[in-house]
Amino acid sequence: MHKPLVIDSSVLIALDGQGRLEDRLIQWKNDGFDVVIPAAIINEVIDEPERIAEEIRERAPVLAHKMKASALRMKMAIKQGLIQIETLDYITYSRVIDNVRKHLSKLEAKPEHMIKKGDSELIALIIQLYYQNKQKVFLATFDKGLLKTLKPFSKEAKYEVLKI
Amino acid sequence: MAEKTVSILKALGNPNKAKIIAHLAKHRGETAEGIGKHLGYPLPTIYKYLRELEAARAVESESKGNTRVYFAGNFKFEVSAEKLMEAFEEQTLESVYKARFGEEGMERLREVSKKAKAGKMTYRQAASTLGITYYEFVSLLEETGAD
Repeated sequence: MHKPLVIDSSVLIALDGQGRLEDRLIQWKNDGFDVVIPAAIINEVIDEPERIAEEIRERAPVLAHKMKASALRMKMAIKQGLIQIETLDYITYSRVIDNVRKHLSKLEAKPEHMIKKGDSELIALIIQLYYQNKQKVFLATFDKGLLKTLKPFSKEAKYEVLKI
Repeated sequence: MAEKTVSILKALGNPNKAKIIAHLAKHRGETAEGIGKHLGYPLPTIYKYLRELEAARAVESESKGNTRVYFAGNFKFEVSAEKLMEAFEEQTLESVYKARFGEEGMERLREVSKKAKAGKMTYRQAASTLGITYYEFVSLLEETGAD
């Protein structure tokens, strides 16, 4: 694997909204990064916009069309290999996932099953990639809260936050 | 709404196309040749107009054996200054959110966004707190220039 770059949905959605997604992904590829996401991210960048587009199709067709187009661009980026979906080893990293969910559950004062999967899967993926490749993992996110959540778990993996 | 309104406006703005709709309202299930004969337009023009009218959903068609027959679309078009303003008003996720949650919801969105941007909660926690999807939350942050 080249330099693994775990990318958060916040970056994918923002870059796509600015019309810079494909160019940025190609740039990262040319810079030697492998852009990877866990499966939970698919829901956030493809399934959610598609579902909302269906819901608002009648009253806001232009906006619905934009959302569908965004989901399509994400699918294309995956198909072209610009974004790779990395399968999480849930058995080996279940402890990490559980701990992140517990941590967020306490912060949100919500039961664990109500915590969105994205944060825990992203953190677990960073740790998994570090152990698999024994090299520093890069992370791209606009979410400062996610970075704060990652910190207590960072003793387990060496990572660097990429500036966008 | 805007795209459909503009398409219908375009169709109705051309008297020849408007005549086709009026003709089909009277003669349901007419063929392109039949329309051409009645209105005296060349067949290629009729086909071009029918294609455009179908795209605007002002006309519908169905196959009948080897031929295609046409019907006036089931649309109702009301023109007023308010309706035109509504049709051309820019659609944003913020306007959809506001329509759903009202002013109170907008205030809540601002509060939660502020916390999320300061790193006091993750974006996913923020979305969950507001009862919206992660995609909606990040897009709203983008739209309002908050990121």
